[in-house]
Parts: sequence; structure tokens; C-alpha cells
Amino acid sequence: MSRIIVTTSGKGGVGKTTVTANLGMALARLGRKVALVDADFGLRNLDLLLGLENRVVYTTVEVLAGECRLEQALVKDKREPGLVLLPAAQNRTKDAVNPEQMQQLVNSLTESYDYVVIDSPAGIEMGFKNAIAGAKEALIVTTPEIAAVRDADRVVGLLEAEGIKKIHLIVNRLRPAMVQVNDMMSVEDVQEILAIPIIGVVPEDERVIVSTNRGEPLVLSENPSLAGKAFDNIARRLEGQTVEFIDLHPTHDNFFTRIRKLLSSII
Amino acid sequence: MTSDSTLPDIVSSVAPPSGGVNHNLQVRFKNEEGKLLLILPAETETSSSSSWADIWQQLKQRLNAGDRFWQPNTTVHLAAADRLLDGRQLQAVAEALGEVQLTLKRVYTSRRQTAVAAATAGYSVEQQTPSALNQPLTSSVPLAEPLYLQMAVRSGVEIRHSGTVILVGDINPGGIVVANGDILVWGRLRGIAHAGADGNSKCLIMALQMEPTQLRIADYVARAPTTQLTQVYPEIAHVTPEGIRISIAADFSKSQFLSS
Ligand SMILES: Nc1ncnc2c1ncn2[C@@H]1O[C@H](COP(=O)(O)OP(=O)(O)OP(=O)(O)O)[C@@H](O)[C@H]1O
Ligand SMILES: [Mg+2]
Repeated sequence: MSRIIVTTSGKGGVGKTTVTANLGMALARLGRKVALVDADFGLRNLDLLLGLENRVVYTTVEVLAGECRLEQALVKDKREPGLVLLPAAQNRTKDAVNPEQMQQLVNSLTESYDYVVIDSPAGIEMGFKNAIAGAKEALIVTTPEIAAVRDADRVVGLLEAEGIKKIHLIVNRLRPAMVQVNDMMSVEDVQEILAIPIIGVVPEDERVIVSTNRGEPLVLSENPSLAGKAFDNIARRLEGQTVEFIDLHPTHDNFFTRIRKLLSSII
Repeated sequence: MTSDSTLPDIVSSVAPPSGGVNHNLQVRFKNEEGKLLLILPAETETSSSSSWADIWQQLKQRLNAGDRFWQPNTTVHLAAADRLLDGRQLQAVAEALGEVQLTLKRVYTSRRQTAVAAATAGYSVEQQTPSALNQPLTSSVPLAEPLYLQMAVRSGVEIRHSGTVILVGDINPGGIVVANGDILVWGRLRGIAHAGADGNSKCLIMALQMEPTQLRIADYVARAPTTQLTQVYPEIAHVTPEGIRISIAADFSKSQFLSS
């Protein structure tokens, strides 16, 4: 059975699109057929992160209007044959689509794909409702900040009310050194409030920004950074593998020497 | 340690914005002679903000939280009052009930359109309210039966009940519970709790772990201490002549007993 997963957060800018792009790529590299759905209508950027912007011809809106077939709108990834993107319309508002239509669309994708991963917009309005309409599971992305966690909590409640019970947590942009001196919430602090199982912890990593600008998901890199590794681990855990969490705690050496060590051990 | 470990930041007695809890603002379940009555708030009594989406969310929360209070295959009568429900909404309610093995049988409504939709969907329809709801609501309503919930009151969720609320689970930051009676939290209280909301300052707020954003009892308001808890005891918040105080639960009953 295919899995339909929505990536959502409540608060904006916490890394939903980054997670979706990397996860999609990582799952495809594990041999899965993956369809990524950009449900952030009006503000699409999943295509940018994947480096597929110049291949977008049709979007969800044209599919729903019957102006093209679903397969025509799917953008095939140039690096991973198992990965496709269903782009969102950039010039139309969120009202161009309703939850029933989204549900149908997502369901028809399950015929040919093992995973359908939907990138949700921020907020809990119509765009959010569209994004979760067909989803059977959810990935909650939050940063270790009070406001982000508060919004994530709200979203968990809404998802539960919608009957989406399989919910996993991703803590993004963790800075272990700040946690250590009590300047940042720890993963445990976040989990204590949200009370949902954790599936990934992604450190703050400037290579995320570099990869965003290049349109090359981190998991593609030859020498994956810790963040890239973390995304890959999330994909493996979704697949049911037991993967140890990366030790991000700066014990003797700091975070950056750890990355360097990791790099040199791979080379 | 004395019995009163006080909240450092006591705010003067300000009347909180919400008065008591109107009986009819919440989706409620009521046991009645072997069947279950599902009571929706009347459209005329709720503000426009109480939309179908709110009702739906409340219903799902109730169903998720209270599932061991009814036997499987119990019959449900829906008291929809003057609420307009279309066939799709009725079907959604029936499906949600079906998920917890409850069966929708009968719909009480005062709206013709709802009656037609219900009849079309094959439910028996009565165009009046069930007997249990006919008692007029005067200003001196006795407290409703306790509301027992097993759930996390997450950010943005507001539970309102015209009796005592017993919660097995946490009140998270941003979550709020308002009760005309006491509030018992068998879990961590980190959001807002308002007991005795219709003015009874004898009401209590109890929690296994008391770290509230704010506590209110009747017209009294107290902010949480800004210091971090070092040790955690079950505690009870109550009103004293100095305002809201928090006592260790184990000492509270003793002190109440001695002072009476
Ligand atoms: N682990 C990380 N380390 C460093 N920067 C990150 C990390 N994760 C995300 N970012 C950066 O944060 C910004 C926001 O990320 P992203 O667009 O994925 O968030 P979003 O939740 O999809 O935002 P929106 O709510 O606007 O859709 C981007 O500039 C991204 O590069
Ligand atoms: Mg985004």
C-alpha cells in the first residue's frame, strides 16, 4: 500500500519544504517511487529546492481544470528516475483548489507511487486544509523554539481531530552547543510537550542554505553533511529500518570538528 | 515546608473576560436510559464563530477522549436543536460515531431542512427536543455532571464545561480548560485553567505537575512563578483571603480539615 504523508508545521519557515525535498530524494535513492506534491499554492518553491523550476509546464490547477492530464503535469527528476514533482500554481490563490479535489488528486497518485509526500504551506487556513485532505500520516516539522513548538502542538491537535493519527516529529535546526548552555530547547523539551514519536533530528547546517540555492538536495552530496545524513536517516526510518540517532552532543570536540571527522572518515 | 508554597506573582483580583460556562456551548454526551444523547449547541445560542468546523472538532475530541464510557453498539440520538445540518454533515457524524462503534438512530431537530435531510438518510426524526433537554435553563442551574477526558489539551484547544472537568493528560501551553466546578489534571498543567468560572471561589484546581501559564478561580487570577520547578509534587490551587495560593496536595486536605 502506498503511503500518503503530509509535511506540516503551523509556523512558517521552519523547514517543511527542505524536509520534503530531501526526504523525497532520499526515498527515491532507496529505490522507491515517490511523488512530491507542492500544496503551497501561490508561494511554490519545492520546484526550486529540487532544481526543477525550469521544467515546470503544468500545475495542479491545470490538472483540476481538465486542461492537462495528471501525468503531463508531473515533472520527472533528472537525477532520480523514481522521483516526480506535482508543482503548485504560482499565480493563483489558494482558493483555486478545495480539499475534495486535493484528496482525489493525491489518491490517483497512489496508483503509481509508493510514497506521496505533500508539502504544506504555513498556517492552519485553507491551504493547510488542502494539504492534509488526502494524507494518512503526517510529519510535524518544528525548530526548538517556543513559538514553533506551540504552533506544532496546535497542528497536532487539528490533525488528530481530522483522524490522522500516525504523526511523527522532526526537530530541525538544532544547535547542540546552544542546547548545552541552556540557550535552546532540547529535543527532549520539545518532545515532552508534543508527545508524539520522533523520527528525526536535523542540526543547523549552513550547507542546507547552499543546497537550497543550488537546487540540489543535501542527500545527493558525495560527502553528506550531518544534516544530509539526518534526512537520509528519516527516510530509512520511514521505511521501517532501525537507525540510531546521530550523536549531536558536543562532548570533547565541538560540532564542526565532528563534521570534519565524519568527512575524513568517509574519504 | 509549610503547606502554602505561594505563587510569587499574584495579580490582583481582576475579573477574567469569560463569565460562567453556558451549558449549551459545547458538544455534549448524556446517558439516558440505555441510549446516548449527543447534544449539539443551538445555533441561536452560539456566536457565529461556533461554525460546523468547531462543532466537528469538538465532536472528534469528545469521541477520541471518552471512548470507555459507552458500550459498543450503543444507540445514539442526536439532539441537533435549531442547527441546520445537511445530508453530508449527518453522514459525517454517523461515520465518526461508527468509528467508535456507536450507531446513530434518531435525530431531534426543530429545523425542517435538517429533518428532511435526516429522513432522507434513513434516520427516524422527531421535530422536538428530547425530554431530558426540556428542563429550562435558569440562571441557577446545578453543576453539570463531571466531564471526564483522556487527552492532551493542545495549544489552541479550549475545553469548556458547566461542571467539574477531570482530565487524564496534560494541558499544554496555549491550551485552556474552563469549568464551573473544579479542574483536576492528572498530568501536567502548563496552559490556563479557570475553575469556578461562574463565580464560585471555593472551586479548586489540582494537577500532578503545576506549571501553569495562568490560573483563574472565579474572579481571581494568578500568574505562574517564573522560576523553574526543581521538585514536582501534586499541588492544589485554591482561593485564600490573599488571592490564589498553591498548596502541596498531601498537605492540603489536612489544612482544610484543621481550619474547618
Ligand atoms: N537545518 C537547517 N540548517 C540551516 N538552515 C536551514 C535548515 N533547515 C532549513 N533551513 C533554511 O530555513 C529557510 C526556510 O526553510 P524552508 O523553506 O524549508 O521552510 P518552510 O517551512 O518550507 O517555509 P514556509 O513556511 O515559508 O513554506 C530556508 O532558507 C532554509 O534554507
Ligand atoms: Mg515551504
